[in-house]
Amino acid sequence: MERLLEVTDLSAGYGAVTVLRGVDIHLDAGESIGLFGPNGHGKTTLLKTISGLIRPTAGAIRFSGNDITKARPSNIVNAGLIHSPQGNTLFGDMQVHETLELASIAKRAKGGSRKNLKSVFELFPRLEERRTQKARTLSGGERQMLSIGCALMCVPKLLMLDEPTLGLSPRLKKELAAAVGDIAKSGVPLVVVEQDVEFLMALTDRLYMIEHGEVVREIDKANAPDHEEVMKLYFGEVSH
Amino acid sequence: MIDTLIATLVSGLVLGSLYALMASGLSVVWTTLGVFNFAHGALMMIGAFLAWTLVEPVGLPLPVGILCGALGAAALGIVIERLLVRPYYGNRNMLLITVMTTLAAMIIMEKGAQMIWGARLKQLPRLIDGEISIASATISAHEAVMILLAPLVLAAIWAFTVRTNIGRSLRAVGQNQDSAALIGINVPFAFALAFGLSAALAGLTGALLGSIRFITPAMGADPLTKAMIVVIFGGLGSLGATAGAAYLIGLIEAILVLWLGLYWTPFVLFLIMIVVLVFRPNGIFGGNQ
Repeated sequence: MERLLEVTDLSAGYGAVTVLRGVDIHLDAGESIGLFGPNGHGKTTLLKTISGLIRPTAGAIRFSGNDITKARPSNIVNAGLIHSPQGNTLFGDMQVHETLELASIAKRAKGGSRKNLKSVFELFPRLEERRTQKARTLSGGERQMLSIGCALMCVPKLLMLDEPTLGLSPRLKKELAAAVGDIAKSGVPLVVVEQDVEFLMALTDRLYMIEHGEVVREIDKANAPDHEEVMKLYFGEVSH
Repeated sequence: MIDTLIATLVSGLVLGSLYALMASGLSVVWTTLGVFNFAHGALMMIGAFLAWTLVEPVGLPLPVGILCGALGAAALGIVIERLLVRPYYGNRNMLLITVMTTLAAMIIMEKGAQMIWGARLKQLPRLIDGEISIASATISAHEAVMILLAPLVLAAIWAFTVRTNIGRSLRAVGQNQDSAALIGINVPFAFALAFGLSAALAGLTGALLGSIRFITPAMGADPLTKAMIVVIFGGLGSLGATAGAAYLIGLIEAILVLWLGLYWTPFVLFLIMIVVLVFRPNGIFGGNQ
């Protein structure tokens, strides 16, 4: 089976602080994966390293058969690997529609800009209502919608979502989760970072548990179909 | 009395146009990179010398000279960004370091111009000969062109940064570099573009100014100082605020020259700026962020 994403023995960090130590994860064509584990253990750093914001100190990243370990973020986006970051504040002074249109600046997205804008507005009608509002004046949930909307404007071949429902009210969380479910159903493979294991289990085929910058466990849904079992693993692992 | 007033207004408008052209370039670099480019005045001077070289010794038409002056300054601006600004991105003291490196660029360019073009005063011909009289005030047709051109250039920059994706990318990079990179914006390219555009504006201003002032290696110093006053006075970041402040400062300066004379004008100008910043630290048109 074709490997869409392959991360091999990846180490990275911030200056003298090493966060990731030899991480191996992969994603085959046609599947989605989830990353979970305690806060501050390297999940966000892993996504940032894959998308080129952080230079790895060792290891390799391959996407769609190409080595992207040292690629520039804009080139990674243009290859179709899109990262919607956590708690994204985007561009405070920029209007919603400007931001979305700008997100189609990559060569791969230019042609379909108008059509994609329409489908983003269909997925998030609230963004259309707020289209001339500046990003700074949006609520947390709306900002999250805008961030995911931007990622969709880039025409993802693989979409990485970092805690898309973090800090949202239960009602909004449901709304966002449904939208992410729609994206998955439309055939876009996902890499999702989430604390909510139930949400992850529903969305993805395999889970990686990340602790202290390492993959400590890989869980195939076929082997651990019950999210409660996963929760047991999770808390059993954390409490020692 | 009315005549003097009109003359002062017109002279304020000429100064305001000059400052608007200079300050908008400075503001583009500031909003995109968060850097104050102290070489901005020297880039303006280079634009004037390049235009002069192409028009006087070489003999090309003046509009071609002005265009090449702007393009040459843009190229030099991109080189400055690459060599003296880019190595310090991500450095915690980037703002202070680039103050020094761009000051160094200014000194190198001023001394270089002195070596290449010598100390003899130079001047470009005017775009349009003749004079225009408004009531009793008389300005050269060339100054009238500057007055008309400045708002057009400002409107073009505004349209570029609001209506086009490539222009919007400059604003995006200035506000959130990581997010800009993650939606596919080539951040280093945006930095180079901002510097090039800003330097082109400086070169254009220099080439236009070369027809009404003498072209000397130090001709950029005063416009640079004024442009900085304008950008800070208006409130860092917004093009509209910068443009408004440019005309306001130009007008205040014209009134001060009439009222107090040239000698005391810079002093009072700085005094006004300090007082304004005490009460409105974000500039006279700046929001409260």
